[in-house]
Amino acid sequence: MFKLSLVRFVVISTGLLILAGCAAPTRYIDPAADDGAVAMGMDYRDFEKAATEAVDSMLESGAVTNPNGGRYIMVVSRISNDTMQRIDTDQLTKKIRVALLRSGKVVTTTAVGLNGAEDEMSMRARELRNSEEFDQSGVQRKGTLQAPDLSLSGKILQRNLTVGKEQQVEYYVQLSLTDLASGLAFWEGETPIIKRGSNKSVSW
Amino acid sequence: MNMKRLIVAFGCALLLTGCASQQPANNAAFIDRPQLQIDPEVNYFAAVSEMLEERVSQPDGSSLLKIQYAVEARSDADLAWKITWFDNNGMQVKGVGEGYRKASLLTGQTRYFTAVAPHARVTDYQLHLREPKQ
Repeated sequence: MFKLSLVRFVVISTGLLILAGCAAPTRYIDPAADDGAVAMGMDYRDFEKAATEAVDSMLESGAVTNPNGGRYIMVVSRISNDTMQRIDTDQLTKKIRVALLRSGKVVTTTAVGLNGAEDEMSMRARELRNSEEFDQSGVQRKGTLQAPDLSLSGKILQRNLTVGKEQQVEYYVQLSLTDLASGLAFWEGETPIIKRGSNKSVSW
Repeated sequence: MNMKRLIVAFGCALLLTGCASQQPANNAAFIDRPQLQIDPEVNYFAAVSEMLEERVSQPDGSSLLKIQYAVEARSDADLAWKITWFDNNGMQVKGVGEGYRKASLLTGQTRYFTAVAPHARVTDYQLHLREPKQ
């Protein structure tokens, strides 16, 4: 009886060890040198491609260059996620914001937003005005917040199709940059991301 | 006669030394960086047929470096490319991402790719073409 249990133990242990040995080891991926397999869903490479194309096009068009010098102030408006995936659209907009900021042409305001300020501290800090507990020389004065000139809005769409025995997933990243003074879209862009793969793959 | 030859040779040597490029003060002088870097595998299926650059004027009077290159495909293949941007001192200027952009080529097709520098201070670039493994 004891012998049988020992044999079972050894067999199970060996099996587990073999399985553990076959599993892919966890490793870091360097985004600058990633030749990894493509997923049917949107991954970081897709957001990078969409952001790169958008920023290239925006810079080339001159739409983000203030003719009077200085930087434009941009606010991020609604970027709708019309895909079957749970996407945080900040993955896209943050790349665009960072690149535009680095270009020296655009700065993004975090003091206003469709669902309230991205950083509520701009207003909270002003609540300290007239508080006897705070040195008033450091409290923000009235009329110092800057209103935005440009608004970035957009949508990420998804369409699923069957092509022969394969599945085709189409993503469209559509962006508009609106001049808030005139309400006109000074720049617009669309980046299609098309993937084809096994019908068994899921894109959600 | 020998003395004359010696004087002439010495004079020539001095002249040549004077004509030799002087070591500029900044670090850019030590950079030996090709603008076009093509992996050997790429040469089997494609060739770069054009390499153009221009400065795109901006409304504020500044300008941005834009490059365009063309690739002629000899066979169906996938290509990966990346441009790294540099300022006047040879320092890298970051763009949106660091990854390679993928492109598919069809036999006989000529494809044109463009890229715009992320900042007005960009004056140089390096284009790397490689064959993606996946």
